Amino acid sequence: MSAVVSPVRRPLIEGNKTYHQITEDLCSPTERTPSRAWVIAFIIAVATMAYGFFCIGWTIWMGTGSWNLNRTIGWGYDITNFVWWIGIGHAGTLISAILMLFRQRWRTGVNRAAEAMTIFAVICAAIFPLIHVGRIWVVFYFFPYPNVRGPLWPNFNSPLLWDVFAISTYFSVSLLFWYTGLVPDFATVRNRATGLRKKIYNFLSFGWTGSAKHWSRWESLSLVLAGLSTPLVLSVHTIVSFDFATSVIPGWHTTIFPPYFVAGAIFSGFAMVLTLMLITRKILKLEEYITLEHIESMNKVILVTGTIVGVAYLTELFIAWYSGYVYEQFAFFNRAMGVYWWSYFGMMACNVISPQIFWVKKFRRSVLVTFIMSIFVNIGMWFERFVIIATTLARDYLPSSWSYYYPTWVEIGIFIGTIGLFFTLYMIFYKSGSGSSYCRSKIYIKIGWQSIC
Amino acid sequence: MVDWNAKNVIIKIKQIQRMKNQNIQTWVDEKDLMEESFVQNLEGQEFDPISVESILEDEKSGFIETNRRDFLKLLGFGVGAATLASCEAPIKKAIPYTVRPDSIIPGVANYYASTFVNGGDVCPVLVKTREGRPIKIEGNPLASYTKGGTSARAQASVLSLYDYNRTQNPARVSGDGKTESISWDELDTAVKAALVGARVRILSSTILSPTAKKAIQDFCVKYPNSKHITYDAVSSSALLDASQKCFGERNIPDFRFDLADVIVSFNADFLGTWISPIEYASQYASKRKLDSATASMSKHFQVESRMSLTGSNADNRIMVRPSEQGAAMVSLYNLIASKIGSTPIPNAELNETAKAKLNKVADALIAAKGKSLVVCGTNNLSEQIICFGLNNILGNIGSTVSFSKPSYQRQGSDQDFSNLIKEMQSSSVDALIVWNANPVYDSPLAKDFTAAMANVKLKISLNQSLDETSSVCNYVAPDHHYLESWGDAEAKRGCYSLIQPTINPLFNTRQAPLSLLIWADSASINKLSDQPYYEYLKSNWQSNILSKGANASWDKTLHDGYLEADSSAGSAVFSCNVNEAVATITKSNATGTEVEFYESHNLGSGQYANNPWLMELPDPITRSVWGNYLAVSVKFDGDRRFIVSNGVKENGELISFNAKGETKSIGAVKQFGQLEGTSAIAIGYGRTKAGDCGTDIGTDVFPYCSVDALGYIQYFTVAELGNSAGIIEKNYASVQHHHTLGVTAIEKSSGKKINADEAALVDDFFKPIAKGFQGSLTKRSVIRQSNHKNLKESVEALHEERADFQKLNSHTLYPGHDYKYNSGHHWGMHVDLNSCIGCGTCAVACMAENNVPVVGKKEVSRHHEMTWLRIDRYYYGDVENPNVVYQPLMCQHCNNAPCENVCPVNATNHSADGLNQMAYNRCVGTRYCANNCPFKVRRFNWYDFTAADLFPVNQKNLNKETDKPFYADNIVRMVLNPDVTVRSRGVIEKCSFCIQRIQEGKLNAKKEQRALTDNDVKTACQTACPTGAITFGDMNNEGGQLSKKLQNPLNYIVLEEVNVKPAVTYTMKVNNRDESLDA
Repeated sequence: MSAVVSPVRRPLIEGNKTYHQITEDLCSPTERTPSRAWVIAFIIAVATMAYGFFCIGWTIWMGTGSWNLNRTIGWGYDITNFVWWIGIGHAGTLISAILMLFRQRWRTGVNRAAEAMTIFAVICAAIFPLIHVGRIWVVFYFFPYPNVRGPLWPNFNSPLLWDVFAISTYFSVSLLFWYTGLVPDFATVRNRATGLRKKIYNFLSFGWTGSAKHWSRWESLSLVLAGLSTPLVLSVHTIVSFDFATSVIPGWHTTIFPPYFVAGAIFSGFAMVLTLMLITRKILKLEEYITLEHIESMNKVILVTGTIVGVAYLTELFIAWYSGYVYEQFAFFNRAMGVYWWSYFGMMACNVISPQIFWVKKFRRSVLVTFIMSIFVNIGMWFERFVIIATTLARDYLPSSWSYYYPTWVEIGIFIGTIGLFFTLYMIFYKSGSGSSYCRSKIYIKIGWQSIC
Repeated sequence: MVDWNAKNVIIKIKQIQRMKNQNIQTWVDEKDLMEESFVQNLEGQEFDPISVESILEDEKSGFIETNRRDFLKLLGFGVGAATLASCEAPIKKAIPYTVRPDSIIPGVANYYASTFVNGGDVCPVLVKTREGRPIKIEGNPLASYTKGGTSARAQASVLSLYDYNRTQNPARVSGDGKTESISWDELDTAVKAALVGARVRILSSTILSPTAKKAIQDFCVKYPNSKHITYDAVSSSALLDASQKCFGERNIPDFRFDLADVIVSFNADFLGTWISPIEYASQYASKRKLDSATASMSKHFQVESRMSLTGSNADNRIMVRPSEQGAAMVSLYNLIASKIGSTPIPNAELNETAKAKLNKVADALIAAKGKSLVVCGTNNLSEQIICFGLNNILGNIGSTVSFSKPSYQRQGSDQDFSNLIKEMQSSSVDALIVWNANPVYDSPLAKDFTAAMANVKLKISLNQSLDETSSVCNYVAPDHHYLESWGDAEAKRGCYSLIQPTINPLFNTRQAPLSLLIWADSASINKLSDQPYYEYLKSNWQSNILSKGANASWDKTLHDGYLEADSSAGSAVFSCNVNEAVATITKSNATGTEVEFYESHNLGSGQYANNPWLMELPDPITRSVWGNYLAVSVKFDGDRRFIVSNGVKENGELISFNAKGETKSIGAVKQFGQLEGTSAIAIGYGRTKAGDCGTDIGTDVFPYCSVDALGYIQYFTVAELGNSAGIIEKNYASVQHHHTLGVTAIEKSSGKKINADEAALVDDFFKPIAKGFQGSLTKRSVIRQSNHKNLKESVEALHEERADFQKLNSHTLYPGHDYKYNSGHHWGMHVDLNSCIGCGTCAVACMAENNVPVVGKKEVSRHHEMTWLRIDRYYYGDVENPNVVYQPLMCQHCNNAPCENVCPVNATNHSADGLNQMAYNRCVGTRYCANNCPFKVRRFNWYDFTAADLFPVNQKNLNKETDKPFYADNIVRMVLNPDVTVRSRGVIEKCSFCIQRIQEGKLNAKKEQRALTDNDVKTACQTACPTGAITFGDMNNEGGQLSKKLQNPLNYIVLEEVNVKPAVTYTMKVNNRDESLDA
């Protein structure tokens, strides 16, 4: 079969692949012995993760006092990291669900990895609310279950409880969606495997045979789950933003938070997807599946969401001035000019100013620029959460209680540890699952190619 | 035929049963069934006992045969039980009474009247005991001079009782400071043998007890070469001698701040530490309370160089250097003299600015002639004489300065002490008995004294702990704590109070006067008695004191704890030559920075250094704890930033301090209101043998005090202050950084008045904030303040603004739910900022009442302090000489509480009577409530501060990180209030409005079947307050104390616009500042 590239539309998969080549290319990571680079990277990731768990253990054993939070600033690295990871966890579902509903077919190259990333990011995120509490051994009080204490129910008015529901729902639906997508691909791996591997993959693929009925049910399930996930993409970070928006603290108490948080989440999620994809693409040589088209499309999303976030920042400032409310005015003045000015300007530079270079097509299509930008955005979004949480708490109503916060080695260790956990999970997944959807790649193989035979 | 009677029927049935059992299928007639029936065999054996042996022998019975399964079961059980038994369960010693004492009902507190006495510090108190343990100090309202008020020191004294660093046995001290416990008999024998014919000197701090003085007399009779010498670490020797000179009576006159419309204080910190602060504070506040916009208030000028607690409450401060105090007094004297046509005295040099200001002070004083008061806190004879002279020409003698009830609270003589040293140096002292004095540490002559001690053969310490002095003595004969003692106190003439023991002595100690009497083989001591000193005391009272009171009986006095003699109005006539005094006033003669050494508000002269509650009670002005520091002017070393002012890193900036040829590096803090070119640092720190809490905290500055030509100790010196000597970590810890409300400064470039934060003043980094954004700070509805002149307008403006807020807040999503607290109780509080002097007594009372942990220096510096009630300090006005306002802040018990709705587990919620409650057991510790609290009053247990449960690793020691934690000590734990839960690690806690007291009050009212009254429930902070600034009560109780307070037009609610609806109301702070004195 020979083919030429369509003059009208860039192909989604380059290199004029055959079905077999796709199977070979995409299954190969699961079938090869891990490379030395992978092993080294994996060891680093696991070591980092282990250190993180050590720090978590330290926190639980020694007490929350091993963190530098204080009577004024009750949340610092913990909730900053929680919101940051949750934000990162947004891209997967967005790409899978919303882009699926919008029939953005370019998503196939990245959706699987993005979904996996979602799951892992949510796992990383969920660690923080769990360990930030003073008494982790009674954390089950959060859950509404019939109990002998009255029964005593949780407080359904509390945004923290909404968080519990929002995140667990999001996690379970994302997990289902992700796994559903994996089933036919596991079957593909199974078909090529032998021995124990075959048995494992057979189990994982639920005995997928590839019959028309399977495909038909699989398609409709994917669509149903996509439908379910779509509102979740918007709701999760909306509810996370309620943690702040429903409070009375100036700087938190703002109605703009839900859309602002969702845009920020998508923004950071896409950045993280790009960071990961660019590495994966390079290491696993998937340039033909994750093409510059993908990168460019995602950069466009980054540009748009980054700008939305920027507008939100400016709106906040405007409203603070316009409200005439001294506390709010001071809160925002303090963000920019107070003790944490560096995090505010870090946020502004990384989130609002730097993404503007993506107006230029050359930069959108540059792997290097994209990679650097994706890191920038990740940093910027981390700063954003830090600005919102620490800066606001450090300077609230009563000047007598103002304080300052910086993390201890334990808090930093836990943060780094979650990054280790994330990469550990991601690397395991890439070696055992499928980074790209084989079947969808096969479906879209023709797109952009014109057969000349 | 079958006989169908009942018996047979039974048999029949049994037979059928048997048939079934034996598988007999067929039978012909009943005989087959009847024959040799097994039933018949059994008949009569129904209750035949089965022998154990038969069972044991019967192998098939299976009783003793053990199968593997059972074996394993038993093994499991056995091992499990053994393991459980061998686990060391925390042993909580709670032993029930075998025979319950009549007076004790477990769970019900008993109160005993007693008196807190430590040297010259005195406070008649009621001691709350639970099951025989004193746990809380309350003021004794019968005492006319304290009116039920207390001080932080009195409140904290209950913790000193449980100080495990106290000397626990009489001991012999060897040369290297090591002690060897001996028995009292052994000690007595040794001491008595050595005392025979010896020249004995008894050195003590002020002794208020008439009975103890009698004991000393008895001792001196037995040993005629004895002499009693009194000295005070913070001396009022000059004041006493001046009084002697001017009035012929060596006592401190009765200063009446409640009769004075104009008060001028020359460096006397009468609200904080000077002579009798509880008494003075209560008098002072009575002239400062405002219940209407038209009420009048006193005018208070403070002349000083440092910002003292009293100065911070003053309307105007006139800043002069310590060496200029005398000159300032002379100037004032002459200004007044010239205005009223009295004879002037020779002038002394004073800077013109201060002179101009004093001119206005003179006018004010003259306007209030006979109703004014001038006090002087310096230890300079001439200055004290001039001060009396001032009161004399103002006609205050006999009214605000009287001798009807002079105070005995300072009796020490600096000269006696110096003479003692001389005697010791010349080896003319054979025995030295030190009682409640620590001259090796707290005297500027400590070096000489210590050296001279080598010449004394026998040195006995009666001190309670092995302090600096005790450890260089030969014997220690430890005294009881006052809560274990019998005793009495006469703080002012005719104002007697009794001390009675509230617990058996914890350690093998003996009352100091009893020791003296025993050594003197006193005939008045019944050695066979259980309580010889009690009998001695009682007989002394019966023969000498009780007769002075009207209808006084021993039992009644013991019950009341207080007896006031019918006062004989002493007429004081001023007779002294003020002219002569001018020659010897303090004059500045050296260049350099004048550094003042002041008595620490908390630690006194160091005698309270081992009390963690006091150590962690923030200094009212600097809000710093666990250390002392040099307060320097804001202009010190230019506008340079001081690291300490920012952040929680608490790296103190050191500056070098060079005095008396010695250079030290001491931490510094920039202090508003500190005169440029002067500095100040607290004494009482840097003790070397205070105990686990107080040792090696801060810098000892006693050696820098000096003695003037007349022999009086001078609490200031001239020093060279260097700019920077580096940075020290955790020099001291601060709970409130120098964020201010409304302090104005002049911006250099524009000449405009701007709002200044200390951070802005000292840190280039924050210039933008200095340039005006703190404008929004002044607009915060946290502190409302007004000048008395503009009070009417200010109150109107306040009402307007409050009406605005209330209108905004009246919009609700759920209208019609305002009835919520209209019936039943609705608890609330009122805090009068005009009465609050910022002394911190309430904060200590709260810690004592509610088992609030102290956390130590490191944790405070990380802002982990746990105080439920804190006193915020804000400055306003002129940047170099601002006014100060104190705001006690506790949980505001908001009726629209932002903390409650965010708690995911309902751990904090609202009670039907308006309390914001904490269910500690339910708390998971998300800290969301603390974040969402606009007042930041919620406290999180970062570690297991109270040693509440499982985490020995988290129990932080206060001072040294390695030793056992403070609260893990079983003796210290005795101070815990059993009515209040000890919080574990990881939960939030906060002010509960003393819910245990509310509950007790409710129950008492219920038992007596009556309505609850104001007196049933009083919070710990309320009862502790010496000025009555806090009122707690039921807001629904029409006509109650609280309702009356809530009528005050000056009232406001902190952050009212946030609409959290606090239950705590404050009054607007009003000052009587004369703005023409600024500049």
